Amino acid sequence: MAIQVPGKRFGKRLEKSKVFGHGGISKRPMFADLLITPMVDMFVIIVLFLIANFSATGEVLMMTKDIQLPEAVNVREVEMVPVVMISKDQVLVSGTVIGRVEDLARDDYLNIPSLEEKLREMKKQYEDLHSLAKDDASGFKGDVNIQGDKDIPYKIMKRVMFSCATAGYNNINFAVTTTGSLKPLEEKAANSVGQ
Amino acid sequence: MAGGMDLGTGGKSNRKPLDATINLVPFIDLMAVTISFLIMTAVWTQIGRLQVSNSGGPTDPNQQEEKEKTVPLTLFITDKQLQLTVGTTSDAPIPIVRDAKGRLELTKFEARIKEVRAQLPDQSAITLQPEDAVKYEDLVRIIDDSIGLGLPNVSVAAAMG
Repeated sequence: MAIQVPGKRFGKRLEKSKVFGHGGISKRPMFADLLITPMVDMFVIIVLFLIANFSATGEVLMMTKDIQLPEAVNVREVEMVPVVMISKDQVLVSGTVIGRVEDLARDDYLNIPSLEEKLREMKKQYEDLHSLAKDDASGFKGDVNIQGDKDIPYKIMKRVMFSCATAGYNNINFAVTTTGSLKPLEEKAANSVGQ
Repeated sequence: MAGGMDLGTGGKSNRKPLDATINLVPFIDLMAVTISFLIMTAVWTQIGRLQVSNSGGPTDPNQQEEKEKTVPLTLFITDKQLQLTVGTTSDAPIPIVRDAKGRLELTKFEARIKEVRAQLPDQSAITLQPEDAVKYEDLVRIIDDSIGLGLPNVSVAAAMG
């Protein structure tokens, strides 16, 4: 019996197999070279694209399918402040349901007591936390983001804004989807005057 | 042949070869990790904010002098028309026109604001008084337009019931 190289030995049935039989019909090499250069080029382009789109602020607002934000161009960057969410069905603050839009649209009052209460509570928590830390620099500024659906009537928005102002949140910001770049507003204003 | 370049392999001298091989494996690893991290932390929706103030809020005493060079600019908004009041003079109502997508066409309003800005270059404030039935999207469109036209101090009042 002939001496053979150690390793796997397949039966006669597989001797002519392209895969298992050595030196079968095809003489094409078994190994394919991976083209590294285009792959590295592609990686570099992807990394550059992702870095260009990177936002250090992160996701400040929780996007839900129930709230479709209106679009705007002349916007500022969103900050981490309390968010009042107004969907087509309900009003929420920090995940807590404040009331149903249908009920709020029916009432003729200007304020929403439960929203005021919740916002006052949040304000007190913020002030307590900062007084404990003796952090006078970042005191309470009264900023609030309103993340409202584009189809809600102004009647609801008016009540929410009034409640925010009554609770001490006077700096109201409407969250919008940006269709332009986040340029400084002064620059944009100067451009518009120049035109 | 290496493009006819001397690779330094011939001869008896012990010169180092000119061709250096860069080890691409750690580079590709780093790229893969960076791409994964960036994709996981990417924010695909660009969100901004429009700052407004409630009409009738506290005023800055330093702005008193500025106010002398400006006039109260008020825009009444209903679901059918816009009416601008400059000082005590009310303009003719501007009927609301929408484009194919349902967005407000504000060409006439923009032209009027540009006229006012040309007469009063220090004017930076406008008060909006929307009706209850006005859609939030339309209000945001008008606020955005006002800021874009050089009126960054937008106040929203709730005068019309």
